Amino acid sequence: MRLAACAVALLTAAGWAQAQAPDTAQHSGEALEWLQRIYQATETLSYSGTFVYQQGNRSETSRITRRAGATGGIEKLEVLDGTPREILRTRDEVRCYLPESRTVKVDRRSDPGAFPTLLPARVSTLQQNYEISLGKTARIAGFECRAVVLTPKDDLRYGYALWADTRTAMLLRSQTFNRDGELVEQFSFAQLDIGSVPSRRLRPPPGTRDWRIEKAGVAPADLQGAGWRFGSELPGFRKLAEVRRVMGDAQPVGQVVYSDGMAAVSIFIEPLSARTEHARIGLSGMGAVNVYTRKVGTFLVTVVGEAPATSVQRIGNAVEYRPQ
Amino acid sequence: MKSEISAFMDGELAGAELETVLGALREDGEALSAWRTYHLIGDALHGPAAPGGRCVARVLARLAQEPALIGTLPADIVPAQRPRWFVPSAIAASLSAVALVGWMVFAPRPTGTEVARVVEPVVIDTAKPAPKPALVRHPLSPSARDYLLAHQVYSPRNSLQGVAPYIRSVSAEAAGTP
Repeated sequence: MRLAACAVALLTAAGWAQAQAPDTAQHSGEALEWLQRIYQATETLSYSGTFVYQQGNRSETSRITRRAGATGGIEKLEVLDGTPREILRTRDEVRCYLPESRTVKVDRRSDPGAFPTLLPARVSTLQQNYEISLGKTARIAGFECRAVVLTPKDDLRYGYALWADTRTAMLLRSQTFNRDGELVEQFSFAQLDIGSVPSRRLRPPPGTRDWRIEKAGVAPADLQGAGWRFGSELPGFRKLAEVRRVMGDAQPVGQVVYSDGMAAVSIFIEPLSARTEHARIGLSGMGAVNVYTRKVGTFLVTVVGEAPATSVQRIGNAVEYRPQ
Repeated sequence: MKSEISAFMDGELAGAELETVLGALREDGEALSAWRTYHLIGDALHGPAAPGGRCVARVLARLAQEPALIGTLPADIVPAQRPRWFVPSAIAASLSAVALVGWMVFAPRPTGTEVARVVEPVVIDTAKPAPKPALVRHPLSPSARDYLLAHQVYSPRNSLQGVAPYIRSVSAEAAGTP
């Protein structure tokens, strides 16, 4: 497995160089405009297609259907490999259908702004932490695409290459690179139809009415007021949300989210319990996501983020509990 | 070598330094003895839950199998120098700082009502920095899916690529399925 991962890394280091296109020294203003168009396309287009999620030496194929609408639209993700897991997402709610456990996990936003979105007008704030440039063109799933490259200004975050259709700015491929230019994760459409989608294709999966429903019960929280300190925050990351939620059992879990506009890191805090006592202490992960778990007193602290392992670990080690 | 072993136990070594210590632990009886002694001190400080000798042996055996993986750690993960945990003054400070406290549950911001209190005492050790695990990345545990889902809801990637990044939350790998 390690050999295979190395092979993928070697193959894809070339991908980063390919996306960066030194021959076309474009103004960052044009790149920024492209990036804004990608955000707008994601918000306004209806489409359906098949995409492949690839990380390490593994890949998974899913079908994505999106119907744009005045209230933010509705989207469906169906995993086509293995058990048929599905996700239905609207602006206010995410429903996750898991057939193995016959469970529907429901995350509903507790107040306006609880699902923060990055508005196209604010895309320029990404320049504080990333160099944004235009890359090469390539043909992906039959679409002529242009790459927008985000190169991080420090080692705290990953780099990105975003390949968008030159006509509609629909994002066809998104690649995440580590600081050595190796691909750590890729989302890429294999087939895509842009245009109207009938609403019947966005219904919940059939036969799920008697499934167990697990509600996240998200509510605002004040973890700092309860004695938690999150140390010196990572440069460029600001706090997005501070909530409590239910996860699995009845114990409330605190969650604080930090983001730099591209990457986000969540800190989860919960009392040690039957559910958490077998938690895997240390570093784990998948693709661009790193998870760092440690015990603080009688609490379990779990940091989850699309950021390099060192950043996630740094945030986790800075968590302190100092009750008044 | 003893201070290097201590640094290694704190997860502070990388690259050539790490290789040196791993080599010493494999071949040098005195180094291994120091390693065991430090774990005994650690056991005494942390109570009976700390790993015992058999665990140390298992970890050493496992380390012997994995030199390549550990050897590729980037050099810059080594944090700035800080006092070693075996320094006597640190031990004294650590012991004196053990405190009994209660825990205030995350209070809802608007009203401040529903403030619950966990009754069992919490031992807080403020003097000793948290132990750092070696930076070897393991596969996600089966419980990771809940965290990934709860995290993904707030990811700014959603406004960039819609529902697609949610594949991480329902990935077969996130469920611990091979």
